[in-house]
Amino acid sequence: MSECLVITSGKGGVGKTTTSANLAVALAREGKKVAVVDADIGLRNLDVILGLENRIVYDLVNVIEGQCRLKQALIRDKRIEGLFLLPAAQTRDKNAVTPDDMKKLVDDLKELHDYVIIDCPAGIEQGFKNSIAGADRALIVTTPEVSAIRDADRIIGLVEAHDLPEPELILNRYRAGMVGRGDMLGREDVLEILAIPLLGIVPDHEDIIISANRGIPASFDDDSVVGAAYRRIAARLGGAEIEIPSFDDKQTFWGSVARWMGLAPAREVM
Amino acid sequence: MRALLKRLIGHGEPPSKSDAKQRLQLLLIHDQVDLSPAQMEQMRQEILEVVGRYVEINPDEMEFRLDKEGGAIALVSTLPVRRVTARSA
Repeated sequence: MSECLVITSGKGGVGKTTTSANLAVALAREGKKVAVVDADIGLRNLDVILGLENRIVYDLVNVIEGQCRLKQALIRDKRIEGLFLLPAAQTRDKNAVTPDDMKKLVDDLKELHDYVIIDCPAGIEQGFKNSIAGADRALIVTTPEVSAIRDADRIIGLVEAHDLPEPELILNRYRAGMVGRGDMLGREDVLEILAIPLLGIVPDHEDIIISANRGIPASFDDDSVVGAAYRRIAARLGGAEIEIPSFDDKQTFWGSVARWMGLAPAREVM
Repeated sequence: MRALLKRLIGHGEPPSKSDAKQRLQLLLIHDQVDLSPAQMEQMRQEILEVVGRYVEINPDEMEFRLDKEGGAIALVSTLPVRRVTARSA
């Protein structure tokens, strides 16, 4: 049984594309066959986060308009078995695609893959409607900020109105230190407001910037705390029960040594 | 822990900033030229076809890309010749 996940948020810049890329890599590392789809037509970026920008020949709109076959447009990631990218068109606008087109596309992709991940564009317009059209499950990405949570709440309402099961939350850019000082909304605060199940927390970490610079998602890196957070989320997607850590490493001996030596932000950017 | 060791020893990789800059420059060139990858591929095929009438090209070693030369965008291509196939009359 394959499943289509839509990664959405309402607000831009909260980490939808990074989350899509990292979950796709993490699921592929579990041996799953994964297609990750960039639904942000006109402003594609997922190819860049995955480091596959030089390998694009055809895109999503080419497939929908019948200019190529689906398999021709899918870019196989050579770094890992089972990971495929369907890039967005860069020179078209969102109206080139309808929700029915997307539904058909997702159905075709589900025949070939265990997971189809849709990277939804920001906003609540056509791009959002297209992205959720074929989805079985919605993952809401938010950061612990007032504006992001407000938009997440709006999106949760829209997802529920579209006959999808209850969406699940990914809390991104979490800074345990700031939460501890009371300067950032903590997980309980966010869950109290949004009232949906928490799928995982991703700490704010410089690995994400470095991995975006290089086009190598952190999930590839066994030593990355962010990569590990995404791999745990991927495992939870398949039903594994893995506790969500506090990301507070103040107590660990090596954490203190590293901080004393001036080497950490090893775990968290304060 | 391994991450810490890597930091201490350093792993010989150049900082990621240079990757970011290089990738960005290429991306922006392609955005400006506004040719789809499919069109680029078509142009590559057509150039191969025309040149192929005169010399045999090894398409696997062919270089074909947009780049910045000075201030201008350049189409840079290297076509390794296997042998001359036809003599122009």
